[in-house]
Amino acid sequence: MIRVNDLTIAFGRTVAINNLSLEIGPGVFGLFGQNGSGKSTLLRAIAGLVRPTYGQVIGRGHRVNLSDETFRRSIGYAGHESGLYGRLTVGENLRLFGSLYGVGPGRVGEAIRELDLGRFEHTRAEALSAGTRRRASVARALLHEPPILLLDEPYANLDDEAANLVSAAVEPWKAGERIALIATHGAKKVKAFADGGIILRDGRLVMQGRYDHPNTATAST
Amino acid sequence: MNAQVVEPGFLSKTMALVRKDVRVEIRARETLLPMMMFAFTVTLLLAFTLPGGPTGGRALRLPAGTLPASDVLAGFLWVTVLFAGLIGAARTFEVEREHAAIEALLLVPLDRSGLFIAKALVNLTYVVALQVILIPAFSLLFDLRLAERSGSMLAVVALVDVGFVVVATTFAALAARTRSRELLLPILSLPALVPIFIAAVELTSTIFAGEPAGSVAGSGWFGVLLAFDVIFTITSIVTFEFVLD
Repeated sequence: MIRVNDLTIAFGRTVAINNLSLEIGPGVFGLFGQNGSGKSTLLRAIAGLVRPTYGQVIGRGHRVNLSDETFRRSIGYAGHESGLYGRLTVGENLRLFGSLYGVGPGRVGEAIRELDLGRFEHTRAEALSAGTRRRASVARALLHEPPILLLDEPYANLDDEAANLVSAAVEPWKAGERIALIATHGAKKVKAFADGGIILRDGRLVMQGRYDHPNTATAST
Repeated sequence: MNAQVVEPGFLSKTMALVRKDVRVEIRARETLLPMMMFAFTVTLLLAFTLPGGPTGGRALRLPAGTLPASDVLAGFLWVTVLFAGLIGAARTFEVEREHAAIEALLLVPLDRSGLFIAKALVNLTYVVALQVILIPAFSLLFDLRLAERSGSMLAVVALVDVGFVVVATTFAALAARTRSRELLLPILSLPALVPIFIAAVELTSTIFAGEPAGSVAGSGWFGVLLAFDVIFTITSIVTFEFVLD
C-alpha cells in the first residue's frame, strides 16, 4: 500500500503537486493526466527522488526515505530518461544493476528476453533507438522485481508490439501485494490490463478508481 | 519470473561501480586524456623554461633574490598534479549525469559510503596513472634522481593523493547537481586543498634537495598530511549521504 497524505510539492513558485491525498493498493495502476498535471513529480516523490514541500508519502508502512536501504530495494523506477550508462552495452548495464541488487545472471537474461532485448544485448545504450532504450530502462527497473514499480511514460516511442512487451513484463505486478504505477498518456494501453487508474489535473486528484470491467472506471473520490 | 536475490557484499558492490567507471573511461577517454594533456603541456613548458639539476644546490635567480630550484620544482610538480587532478575530479559524476543514471544509482541498495569509496578510488586511479608518467618525467627532465629516494617520495605521494581525492570527490559530489559545477568545484575545493598541497610542496622539496628519508618522515608536514587524510576520509565517508542529498 502506498499512502500519499496532503502532499504538496513546489519548485519555486510552480506547484507541481497540490495538497494531494490518495491510497494505492496492490495491483497495476495507470496514472493519467495532461502534461504538467504532476504525474512525473508524484512518481518521483514516491521513489523518494523529490522531497515533499508539505505532507508525506508512505510506502509499505514506512515514510519514504531515500536514506533507507530497505526502502530503496523496494523501489523500481524508470523515469523520463533511461537511467542507463550510455557507453555500456544493454547487457553490461543490466548486469551492473543486477550485481548491485544481488540479482543473478539468470534473472538478467530473463529480463532481456521479456523485453525482447536479446538483439541489443551487445549494443551500447547510447546507440539504441529511443524506443529500445525505453524498453531497456523498463528492464532495469523491474530487474530485481521490486514490490513498488514506478514507470514514467514507459510506452513513449514504442510501437504496438514493443508496448505489448512492456505490458506483459508489468502484468505479474497484478498478483500478490506488489504495486505498479504507470504514468502515461497512452491510457488505452494501460487500461487494457491494469487494475485501476488515477487521474491528475494541475497537481490535484480528479479521479481514482478500479476497473470493474475493461475500460470502465468507477470513481472513488 | 523469480529473481534469485543473493545479497552481494559492500565491497563487491563498490568494486562493481569502480569497474563500471573504468570501463566507461576506457571507451570514452574523456577524463584521463585531458588530464595527461594538461600535465604534458605544463611539463614541456617548464622543461624549456627552468634549469635542470636542482640537487646540486643550483638556484633560480629571481627578481627578489635566489630560490633553491628544488623548492620551485616541487611547487610546479604539485601545481600540475593539482590542476590536472581537478580536471579529472570535475568529471567524477559526469558519467552519472548522462541519461540521469544518477537517479538509478541513488535508488540502489548500497550504502552511500560505498558510492563515495568507489568514486574516490576511480579518481585515485586517474591521479596515480597521471603521476606514473609525470613524476618520472620530472625526474628525468630536471635530473632529480628520484630513484635513489623512491621510498620517501612514494610515501609522500600516497599521502597527498589520498587527501586530494577524498576532498575532490566530496566537493565534486556537492557541485555535481549545480549548473556551474565546473566553476564551483575549484572554488569549493581549493581552500580545503591548500594545506595538503603546502605540505606536499614542503616535503617534496626536502626530497628533491636530497635530504635523507628520516628527515622527511620526521617533518611536521608529514604529520599534518597524515592527520588531514584521516580526518577528511572519515568526515567524507560519514557525511557523503548528506552531500548527495
